[in-house]
Amino acid sequence: MKSIPHVVPQTLSRRLITTALAAAAILAITALVAPDRAWANLLLSGFFLTTLGLGGALFIALTNVCGASWSVAFRRVPEAMTGLLPLGGGLLLVALVAHLPRYAWHHHGTGDAGTFWFKELWLEPKFFIARAVGFVAIWIVSSRILVNHSRRQDTMTHTATTSASGVSSILFLAMFAVSISLAGVDWIMALEPMWFSTMWGVYQFSGLILATLSAIIIACILLRRVGPLAGVFSHDHLHDLSKLLLGFGCFWMYIWFSQYMLIWYSNIPEETSYFIARTHGPWGPIVLASILLNWVIPFFVLLPRPCKRNESVMLKIACVVLLGRFFDLYVMIFPPVTGNVPVFGIPEVATIIGMGCLTALIFMRSFAEADAVPRNDPWLAESLHYHA
Amino acid sequence: MSHRVLFASFEHEDDLLAAATAIRQKGLRIIDAFTPYAVHGLDRAIGLKPSRLTWVCFVCGMTGALGMLWFEHWAASVSWAVNVGGKPWNSLPSDVPVAFEAAVLLAGFGSVFALFAVSRLYPGKQARNIFPGTTDDRFVLVIDETNAAFDVVRVEKFLLAFNVVETCERIQDGGRYS
Repeated sequence: MKSIPHVVPQTLSRRLITTALAAAAILAITALVAPDRAWANLLLSGFFLTTLGLGGALFIALTNVCGASWSVAFRRVPEAMTGLLPLGGGLLLVALVAHLPRYAWHHHGTGDAGTFWFKELWLEPKFFIARAVGFVAIWIVSSRILVNHSRRQDTMTHTATTSASGVSSILFLAMFAVSISLAGVDWIMALEPMWFSTMWGVYQFSGLILATLSAIIIACILLRRVGPLAGVFSHDHLHDLSKLLLGFGCFWMYIWFSQYMLIWYSNIPEETSYFIARTHGPWGPIVLASILLNWVIPFFVLLPRPCKRNESVMLKIACVVLLGRFFDLYVMIFPPVTGNVPVFGIPEVATIIGMGCLTALIFMRSFAEADAVPRNDPWLAESLHYHA
Repeated sequence: MSHRVLFASFEHEDDLLAAATAIRQKGLRIIDAFTPYAVHGLDRAIGLKPSRLTWVCFVCGMTGALGMLWFEHWAASVSWAVNVGGKPWNSLPSDVPVAFEAAVLLAGFGSVFALFAVSRLYPGKQARNIFPGTTDDRFVLVIDETNAAFDVVRVEKFLLAFNVVETCERIQDGGRYS
């Protein structure tokens, strides 16, 4: 198969850099005026971008392990998404290392060392930072391994890398399941050190996969429009991605509600604190908005078959879900950091725009590093002729 | 109402797909196709309308969810109000799991039974294999002959280009061929 040349357009690249710098400047000013708020935005954007990059690697590993052939034609898209990991991880580590004292447990522990001795041990600052560095490092390395297997295949005529990527994918999935749960607990659940939820790990996963699928859908549709994936990414591929988005939207709602209902039913004060702060009072409408964006709207729009195959509908729905992911994280992170009244304004909009620009920029560069299609993959022909 | 149909059988799915597309381009109507296995793209080639089963599924699911929500509300806070854990009688979160299950149950059963009803299937129904080869190595198109312009000889000659193996005329009466 002929490889299609693709380069990063210079003017677009410059505009994205300028906008991202403007957003960073706004956040820097915010850091002077309202440091808590700027830190919450930094943590949110770091976590958002890291999980988006990690989601790309998860998609590759998951499809490899399943022996899925349908997704091979556009596999370079999730591969390019893993390029977000160094930036996202960097932002995250800046947020954690430079501002560790913002976690309530940093100065005086959880406040009850006798009862919560394990939590005290777990949240020991050096151990906490070492874990964070470890998670980010292992995610970057393991996603590089998955991407390199695939890129090396382009110059090979035998299938040794195909079987090697299968083994790496299995190991990645086991590592991912444990690390994302612990990372979510460390960085977000520990904002409220006395609160806990056993659903937290799977809740993090559900949001991650939802945002990842949306980003893949947007990237594939845009790349089909501008050229590299024209004639490669078909309506049937889009249809399957949309089906996954519909399914995982329901999964997100299922997990969200399971967490809520467990806590609501047992009604124990140490567990209910999370939802009382978020559903009683001004945060309530924002929680409802995140449910609307993550599940209600996508669910009813994605039910009819024609919508799932329509690229302009899917482009809009994927944007809605990404915005939903922002508000989902916003509701998790902001209440314990900025207080009982939601703050939403220029800094948050700057965060959203800045994340969008950086994602687009890094994605384009990462995508341009390799051929647009894994041309020597044994499953490519099957993927190109895929019927949903 | 009975009318005449033409059975055209092929040995390869590619021939079947090409013939189906060409026949529809000539303005003739294809009633059905019989194949040993599911052929990709055949639904489009014979001009099959999108299934309405999804709507049955959706309506059944919504009926299950809304019906169960109403029933739980009636049972737990109207007919026999019970205090459970000090919660309000009319507590939506406790109603959601059962409403969800009822939606899945009704959507599932509704779709299956609607499919049975539409395709006239019931337990103990005798299999009617209208063309023995279709369970083995034959791909059959059923072409409508009611069009006044239909000329069997010309259609048969036209189908030769697609390596047709055999053609025969049958009578269709409702869902039966004889």
